[in-house]
Amino acid sequence: MIRARRLAAIAAAMAILVGACGGAATTAPSPAPSAPPATDQASAAPSEAASASPAPSIDTTPVTITVWDYYGESTPVKPALAGFQKEYPWITVDYQALDWDSMNQKFTVGVSSGEAPDVATLDMTWIPTLAANGALEDLTAMSGGQLNGKPIADQYTKGALDAMTFGGTFVTMLFDFDTYALYYRADLLEKKGIAVPTTWDELRAAAKKLAESSKGSGKPDRYLYAIRPNTFHFSQFLFEDGGTILNADNSKAAFNSDAGVAAVDIQKAILDDGSGLYWPDANNDLTPAITSGQVAMFSDGPYYMGLLKTGVPAQAGKWKIALNPSVKQPGSYLGGTGLGIPVQAKHKDAAWLFIQYMLRPEQQVGVFTYAGAAPATTAALESPELTKADPYFGGQSPFKVFLDTMATSSHFPYVGAWSEIDTFITESLQSALLGKATAKAALDDAASQTDAALAK
Amino acid sequence: MTWRRRFRGASAGYLLIAPALAATVLFLVIPMVISAYWSLTHYNGIKPPEFVGLQNYLDVLGNARFQKAFENTIAFVILGMGIGPALGLGSALLLDRALRLRGLFRSAFFLPTMTSLVVVATIWKFLYSDAGIINAVLGLFGLPGVNWLSDTTTALPAVVVTSIWQGFGFETVVFLAALQSIPRNYYEAASIDGAGRWAKFRWVTLPGLRPTILFVYVIGIIGSFQTYDQIFVMTNGGPIQATRTIVFDLVDRFNRLDLGGASAVAYILVVFLAVLSYVQLRIGEERD
Repeated sequence: MIRARRLAAIAAAMAILVGACGGAATTAPSPAPSAPPATDQASAAPSEAASASPAPSIDTTPVTITVWDYYGESTPVKPALAGFQKEYPWITVDYQALDWDSMNQKFTVGVSSGEAPDVATLDMTWIPTLAANGALEDLTAMSGGQLNGKPIADQYTKGALDAMTFGGTFVTMLFDFDTYALYYRADLLEKKGIAVPTTWDELRAAAKKLAESSKGSGKPDRYLYAIRPNTFHFSQFLFEDGGTILNADNSKAAFNSDAGVAAVDIQKAILDDGSGLYWPDANNDLTPAITSGQVAMFSDGPYYMGLLKTGVPAQAGKWKIALNPSVKQPGSYLGGTGLGIPVQAKHKDAAWLFIQYMLRPEQQVGVFTYAGAAPATTAALESPELTKADPYFGGQSPFKVFLDTMATSSHFPYVGAWSEIDTFITESLQSALLGKATAKAALDDAASQTDAALAK
Repeated sequence: MTWRRRFRGASAGYLLIAPALAATVLFLVIPMVISAYWSLTHYNGIKPPEFVGLQNYLDVLGNARFQKAFENTIAFVILGMGIGPALGLGSALLLDRALRLRGLFRSAFFLPTMTSLVVVATIWKFLYSDAGIINAVLGLFGLPGVNWLSDTTTALPAVVVTSIWQGFGFETVVFLAALQSIPRNYYEAASIDGAGRWAKFRWVTLPGLRPTILFVYVIGIIGSFQTYDQIFVMTNGGPIQATRTIVFDLVDRFNRLDLGGASAVAYILVVFLAVLSYVQLRIGEERD
């Protein structure tokens, strides 16, 4: 009797153990997905390796690299995999699609737990924190200054090279760039006889003339200008008024200057006029507001061209893009996507081969044709694909506008505390634009918090 | 001699708890010890940890954003645990009558609790949006719409409502079971003594529910203090820190690769909850 009971207990214990392990695996906080062990590429490698003729210095032992990509459905990375596989048959790519929202967290978890990928698409605004914490591989050392056989310095604009540098070396290769321009409903501006605004005052007046109430009278709720309380849009106005975010040696805040206050005030003025739509980041992208006609003007980057085409097809031909209205000088933040290699990557050389492949002109053009975003290398920017007329934008060649903005854009300060400073600025914007504090008071508050964070 | 015999008899029991014990040690105890160590260091997960003693704790407790998160969490708990169990008890009392469809109603109340909190939060985010149903209904009555989740005064209560909606089904089920375990002859005796409905509730029902109420509050408060999912989905801590909670602050630090600070926040929360639960349990016991 006792023996039977003990047997039953052992059986039950095994069952529970198996169940618990399975359950624990799902309930325990999920770490970064681990790369599958390099399996039997040997079966495919021998014949193809013989015909592929790689450069003699490259190690051709079969290897699997993990690539994390946040582009989503319209990714330019996935279509490039087949070509890469053909050229480098001993490298198998374990491609994993993540989304932009969770990539930062997953990458951070991966890097801090040692389960890092080999290559990842990283938003340029995450670079300061990652680079300051030593998470990214030194690409200058890895590459010897060469990309696809030519000097890196010859393949990017000065602004791009600057954005890829942290602490004197390249920590990422810019893959697509993001700068802001003004998207506007050309059909409505024409109908109402409004000229395309080139200054802030003209923007405010144009917004006022555009805005109307769908009920005929009362508060305008249609054809508004989107006011977005985040550092991307604030810095646009700030730079345009000759301001900077931090001082020259990145030791103190400089965004609470007169230029900063003016940058907030113009947005508040448009909101108070009733011609602005307050759209916080928590509301996600603008397409629902654009589809419903709530928004007729907004500033954003090249990837919105793709978003409009897929999300608002009904308004094809009605939109155009222009340089953002400015006061002292044109300006915009410079961001985008960089391809980076974490320091704990297991196959860095193969990863670098992958990055170089993705930066060749053919793949770079794919950034535009698949994702509707702007490739970063100058070779791609000059390709005819990108400069042809776009029917969605009324026959305009919108890319040319973004090219112009790239020349006058600057990246965010590369300090380790950047993500905190970004939060302080965003909160001060929300505070000021919601009328909870004056622009000066809100920005001063953010500035003192920034100074404290920089001093640490 | 007796010890060994007692052990042999209980060996079946030890075998049965072994897997759960192993899992607890592996996934709970060991990480807790590691985390305690990290909380005494500056550690970003990449370079080796640097011992700094209690510096992280001092930094966290003195940090204005953490203090705001703490305040918000307390407000959250007071609102949530003030209303939730009351709703749970109320619905349990209503269901306690010999309703034919009691099973159906009980399942209906419990359905939100069975649904993933992230799913519930996402749906409520749509309900609260500018063009959402709630504003539409207000519009029917001629009332202006409210920016529920972008207004600093309404954001926290809005998230609390979502949490209560999702969670009170649990309390309903627990209270219903407890109500049904109160002996019916107590009520009969009370009727004989001339007690009305309110008196019966006060002198028979409530005392009979006391251990359940204690359980609900201890578990509920611990759970409420750990609020994160709804915040992340609905407001991301905003607007302007209005819905930032302690666990949200913890995750934020983790995202900034401040593992030492995040661990310190975790331990501050653990110690606080341990003390709070101890106080609650002592009060609960003393009454008896």
